[in-house]
This record gives sequence, C-alpha cells and structure tokens, in this order.
Amino acid sequence: MKSRTNLLVAALAALLFATLTAAAGNADALTIKRMTLQNGAVLLVSPQHQLPMLTIDIAFDAGARRDPRGEAGLASLTARCLTLGTKTLTPEQFNQKVDFMGSSVSVGAGRDYAVASLTTLKKYEDQTLNLLAEALTEPRLDDKDILRKRGEQVAGIKSSLEDPGYVASVTFAKKLFDDGPYGNPIDGTVESVQKLTPADVRAFYKDHYKMGDAVIAVAGDVSPEEIKAKLDKAFASLKGTVPPQAAPEPPKVAPGIHLALVNRNVAQANIIMGFGGIARSNPDFYRLQVMNYVLGGGGFASRLMQTVRTRAGLAYSVYSGFDASKFAGPFGVVLQTKNRSADQAIRLVLQQLNEMREKPMTDKELAAAKKFLIGSFPLKFDRLSSIANFMLQVELNKLGLNYADEYPKLIDAITTQQTLEVAKKYLHPDAIIVVVVANQQKAAVKLANLEK
Amino acid sequence: MFRVMRSSPRFSSVYQAVSAAVIWFLILAWAASAGAGITANVKTETLPNGLKVLVLENHKAPVATLSVFYKVGSRNEQVGKTGISHLCEHLMFRGTKTLGPEQFSKIIQENGGTDNAFTTADFTDYFEIINARNLDVPIKLEADRMANFDPKGFKAEKAVVMEERRLRTEDNPEDALYEITKAQAYVEYPYHWPVIGWMNDIRHLTLKDALAYHAMYYSPRNSIVVAVGDFNAAEVLKEISEAFGSIKNGPEAPPFTQTEQEQKGERRVMLEHAANLPAFDISYHVPNLRSPDAYAIEIAGEVLGDGKSSRLYRDLVTNKQMVVDVNVDYDMTSFGPPLFTVSAQMRPGIKAKDVIAEVEKQLAELRDKPVSAEELRKSKNLEQAEFVFGEDSIFQQAMLLGVYQMLGDYRMVDQYIPNIDKVTVADVQRVARRYFVKSNRTVGILVPTGLLPHEAAGGKQGMVR
Repeated sequence: MKSRTNLLVAALAALLFATLTAAAGNADALTIKRMTLQNGAVLLVSPQHQLPMLTIDIAFDAGARRDPRGEAGLASLTARCLTLGTKTLTPEQFNQKVDFMGSSVSVGAGRDYAVASLTTLKKYEDQTLNLLAEALTEPRLDDKDILRKRGEQVAGIKSSLEDPGYVASVTFAKKLFDDGPYGNPIDGTVESVQKLTPADVRAFYKDHYKMGDAVIAVAGDVSPEEIKAKLDKAFASLKGTVPPQAAPEPPKVAPGIHLALVNRNVAQANIIMGFGGIARSNPDFYRLQVMNYVLGGGGFASRLMQTVRTRAGLAYSVYSGFDASKFAGPFGVVLQTKNRSADQAIRLVLQQLNEMREKPMTDKELAAAKKFLIGSFPLKFDRLSSIANFMLQVELNKLGLNYADEYPKLIDAITTQQTLEVAKKYLHPDAIIVVVVANQQKAAVKLANLEK
Repeated sequence: MFRVMRSSPRFSSVYQAVSAAVIWFLILAWAASAGAGITANVKTETLPNGLKVLVLENHKAPVATLSVFYKVGSRNEQVGKTGISHLCEHLMFRGTKTLGPEQFSKIIQENGGTDNAFTTADFTDYFEIINARNLDVPIKLEADRMANFDPKGFKAEKAVVMEERRLRTEDNPEDALYEITKAQAYVEYPYHWPVIGWMNDIRHLTLKDALAYHAMYYSPRNSIVVAVGDFNAAEVLKEISEAFGSIKNGPEAPPFTQTEQEQKGERRVMLEHAANLPAFDISYHVPNLRSPDAYAIEIAGEVLGDGKSSRLYRDLVTNKQMVVDVNVDYDMTSFGPPLFTVSAQMRPGIKAKDVIAEVEKQLAELRDKPVSAEELRKSKNLEQAEFVFGEDSIFQQAMLLGVYQMLGDYRMVDQYIPNIDKVTVADVQRVARRYFVKSNRTVGILVPTGLLPHEAAGGKQGMVR
C-alpha cells in the first residue's frame, strides 16, 4: 500500500532535515567541485570512492509552486509521467532495463523544485545515466500513459484523504496561502487533477524542464571531469531557462484565533497551529533555527515535547518548524492527541508560544541548541543520497561552497537576546490559524476555551 | 522488495522519523540482501557476564553508530500483558538512578548525535548516530540504563503510548487491517498480537510489570552491543567492555517454546473501518532463513513485487489499473515463522475481491510455470545492487550485524548472496507450489465506512466554522 504523506508534516520534516543537513562543521569531511555545463546547468560533484556506486540528483525549476492557477497537481503529474518510457522505449521496456540493472531512476515534484534522481552500481553508470537522460530529453508522454498516471494520482489523493494528518495540512495551507503558490497540495485536489489533460502535461514539461537553471549534484564513485563530459553530452539538447516567478505577497493572518474544524471519524484530533513564516533567503533564518530548536524543533530537548508529551502525556508526537522555502513558507506546530484533550493541548502550545516571546531562553538552552546544530553536522554526510541533497541545498539557496565552514560561525554568534527578538518578530500566538481534524462532537473545541 | 515497517519506534517526527521509519525500511531491504566479505573485519568479544560485543571500523565519514540489541520483543509477552516490551522501551528514556526523564536524549543531542529506539515482535534496539569523537558518551549512557533503570513519570508515558497506538493503528486503516489479519493468521504463536499491544492491555500495565520485565530481559547475557564507524576498533572494544563488563545478570527468562500449527484451510477476516477505499492483505505462512526455502521465497517475492517491471505491478498497476501500488512483504530474518504478504489498496470503484482473484492468477502462474531465466537474473541483480546500496549506511551495517548475531551468528551475513545465487527456476516453482496455496492463506479485507463520524453521517461534510 502506498504510504500516506502529510504535506505539511512532510514539509516541516523536510525543512528540519534540510536545515540539519545544512548544519555546521567539518568541511574536511566533504570535497565539492563546482562546474558549469555547456547548457548552463550548475554541476556539483563530491567524489566518494568507498563503494562502487553513485547517486545523481537534478533539480529543475518545475516544482508545484509553478502550477498554473486552477491546475494544482500539474507539476507533480508531469514529473510522474517523465519515467513512462521514451521516444524509443515503451514504459515496459524502460522499466525492464532499469530493474535489470538493479538501478533506480525517478522524477518527483516537491513544493519548490522537481528532482530527477538515479542511483546505480558503478558498472551500470553509463546505461543508467543514458536512461535518465533519454527520459528527461525525449520523454514518450503518450496520452494513454498520462491518463493512467492521472488516475493513479487521483486515487492517491483519495487515499491520502483517509489520513487525518494530511487533511489537516491541506486545510492549513489553504487557509494560510489561499490560491498562492503554496496554497494547494503538491498532488493537487481530486477536482483539479481530473481536469488536467495530456496536452497540459506536455506543455508543462516543455516550459519547465530546462537545463539553463538546473542544478546537478553527483556523489559517489566518479571523477568530476569524466562525469561532466558525460552530462554535457547527455543533456546537450535541454537548453534554455525558465522565466523567473514573482514572489507572492507573504501571507498575513488577521488578529485573533482562527479555528478551522473538520469533522472525521477518528480517535485523535490532528492539530496544526500556525501563521506565515520566512523564505530561506531571510537573514533571520539562523536565529530562528536556534529559537525553534528550543521551542519545538529539538526533539526531546524542545519545550513543546517536554510540556505536551513528557509532562502531560498528551501526544506521541509534537513539533514546530519554519518551512523556509524559496518564498515565505509557513510556521506550524503539529500534534495529535485524543479528541477530548484537543483544547488542553492547544492551550499548552499557545502558552509556550507566548512564553517564547516574553522572556529570553536560558543560556543553557542556547548552548545546548548550538552544540547540537554545530556538532551533528557530520551526520549529514554519512550517505551518498544525503551528500547529494546537501549539495543541492547549497547551490539552490546560494549558501556558498564554504557553507560548512561558515555555518558554525553563524550559529555560534547568536545570543539569547537575538532569539528573543526573532521570537517576538515571527511568533504570533495572537494571530494564528488553528486547524483541528477530529471527531468534533467529542473534541468540542471552543474559541472561548482557547482565549482564556 | 518492498517491506513495510512493522516495528514501533519511540519517536517519529522530524529528523528522527528519518532514522526510525525510513531507515528501518532500508535496513530490512539490506538485512535481506547482504553479501560476502563484510564480516571479515568485525572484531568481537564475549564479556564474562555473557554480553556479546561486535565492532567494525568504517571510515567513510567522521561518524559512528552504537546499537544495543535486547533479544526480547512482543513475542516474549504473556496474554493480558501485551505491549510491555514497547512500553519498557519508552520507559528506558524516562531516567535512571542518576538521570532524570529524557535527559538521555538531551545529552546525546548536545554531543552532536541523534538517538532513537524501536521494538519489534522479536527484539528491541536502542541506537545513537553521533559525531565519532563522542562515541564514549552513548556507550556510558547505554550501560547506565541497562544497569540502573529507574523510570519516572510512568503514567504520563503510558498515556503517550496510548496516543501512539491511536495515531499508528486506530486512525490508520492499513495498520488496523494488518493487525487483525495477523491475529487470524497466528493461532498459537505470539505474533498473534500487535507489537504495540492491545489498548486495554496497555491501560492495565503497571510500573511493577515494567521493572520485573527489565530485570529479567535487559540482562547482559540477553543483549548485543554493536558499534560501527570512524574509530579504532580495539579502543572502542575496550571502552564497551569497561562500561558493560560489571553489569550483573537478572533472573533467568523462561524458555521460549511456542510454535505455530500448520494452517489447514483458508481464513478470512473483514474489518469495517473509517476509510474511502477498500484494501486487502493476503498472508501465507512461510519459513524463515533456517529453511533453505527462504532464498527461493525471497526470489519469488522479487519476481512478484520488486520494481515496476515486476509481475504484480505490471498486471495490477500498469495494465489493469486496479490499484495504485502493490506491496510484497517477506522478512526471512524473522526469529519465528514469518508471513509472506501481498497487500494493496483499491483504486476508486474497484472491488477487493476482483483484485484478490488477479493476485491468485499471478500466484497460479508462478506455481504452474517456471520463471524465465531473465527474470531470475533480474531478481538476483536487484538483490546484489540493494546489498551494495545498503553498505552506504553505517546504521544499516550495525543493524545487519546485530540481527544476524541474534539469529545465531553475524557471519551468516556472508552466506546471503551466495545462497541467493544458488536459487534456480525450479526452486522458485517448488516453493510457490508448497506455500502459495489457498489453504495456507489468510485474507484480510478492509471495508470502508466513510470518513465521517457515524453520528454525523449524511450531515454536512468538510469545514465547520
């Protein structure tokens, strides 16, 4: 069975994972070579010769934020369709070739970018790369295959709607971003996807899969010069760039607590509370990272975990995060608790948000956050896939090749006063959206109880 | 091949979800696909108190992992006390004679590490992944909670576990279906109950239960400590021996004697659950790696369900478009008799019984005709590639060594790929004929009842303000 993804949860998890990935330290752990392909794509290579394998990730400016208005899910559908055969191979032949080598070849759309990936044994490097290149430069995109994928995507959404966490995240994004680039689910809605046509998919592919502003990350058993030559040849035809996209207005939540209640036959209330956050380019990113580690990003070290889980026993999982994306993303606190304790849990979270704004964190909390963020840096390089992901983040967010050296300095300079300032500036418990997907009769959430 | 997480990690959100859910998925893929050579560099020692230590240097990145395995899981539980293994795992983070609740994780994080734990039907694993220069920190902390278990806040932690059960099972149709199907498939063997335990049992567990359980099962002779990473093996072996060497064993655990009776006739179970779409699990009793059949069953699973060119994917997803995905699950490293499970969720408008009939046709094909030489080669290639990919993670290496050591000897890892390579087309047909038969299967079907509360059915849907 398909595992269900909760978009916001996934996004927040991805964010925290990404920011941890980006965390601090030993630059000597990682050698990165940066080059530019003839078609304009930026190539980052980290040679790792311990195992006879390699991973390649290519990020295209083809994520869900590029979905045209009313066509939510188009970026995702297009990405899914790109591995359905090529001009010379039927989908069946394509799959057969990939599986026979034990390789993996995939394309998937995220919120900001679509990423095409391969992982292969060294001995199948050329064949696997050629298959990925053929898929990206000469995809088959047959009507009947596209319509089949569309059906799968609709079924996948219906399946996701069984997950109350997914429903909460979709509801939250809609309330916060409305029809903006981050307002709809990545896979779209049943209604929006059903309207998509094969022509829409082919047009989206043509307009957004351009190498001119793509980023390629290669980690594994390769030499930078050789892989560059291969990539230059394989992707020579995919020229051009995608026109820039104007940043939307950052989301604003009016004063007050805005309850959105969704009724479901569930044992737990799935709760998301939040408001607008920041873009990754915001210089307050690092201060917020430290502040949020203490608030709800730091696992068992975080205040939300200590109060809601460890002391009150109200939830198995509770965390907070800023989804710092290309544009200003959300800030959210995510938790699940039995229906009848929904009120109580929401109040505890509001208290914690207020407390974070009212007085500075302790020196001890600050030191613990810094130690983790800086000290855990090498953990992010223990696999080829995480190295490739790190390189993509560095390039897409313009962090610089010396980011690994810079990060500890950026974090180490932060003071408790600064974390208080960003808490005051970016946490808004008095202008907040509260989504509760629950058996509403049992949960009986009332605004009056929350405002106390 | 596809594997579904059947363990229950203590914490699953944010980055730790990555270590729990995703990694566990990868590990099992790897655990089932290891090859020759990796055990040659393992250094090992058995301490006088019976604790087994395995240490392996790996200098890929400046990180190290410590993994402490206890040979106890939900299959060691008694009727009425289900869930005690998993609750005990949670309580291990609730303090020792010298540490307060959740201090453990805070200290690990301050040393640039992450930690988590999970319980399966067979064993319980506690692990840290950490900046290699700080590996001494988890070594001391793990020894402390083996020796000086003293959890605080029992009631709150029990409430957390009940929330976990609501999240993971009660509000998750596919897990709820698997739970009830498994309860039908196993009559005698304690895989009958879920790892997390039945809700009412969890409710009645006491601190006394947990203390007695820890005293008996968390003894050095019942545990294995594995370290893999960027360090000097001799030094780490010494550190581990010093930290764990003086820990005393508790009372002897009762011998494990249960078996599962042969299934004589198909079993069916229906679950009515809040959902949109029907789903099914078809489970066959099969042997674990103690039987030479295990490798041919593994290959059968590859042919049926690994990759988009596999038979079930091609038939059900691509050609007939009845399901969005189909999973085949078999874990030969299960300590007791495992299940071979085919599961899927229907596309809208498709009936479960029609897809179950299609799956049966595919299994009949496997029984009636030998697979092609090319399919066999493809399956073996997939296993070999997965093996190399798995070596990319030190965490997975530690997991593999620990699991095989609990099964008897970590060196069995080296036999895996050779045994896979020996499988013939005749073997695959033989195991299909022997195990994939109707009288040996349990079919669980999820009947969706919609997503609204029953009292609200027919009422207004969606957002209420």
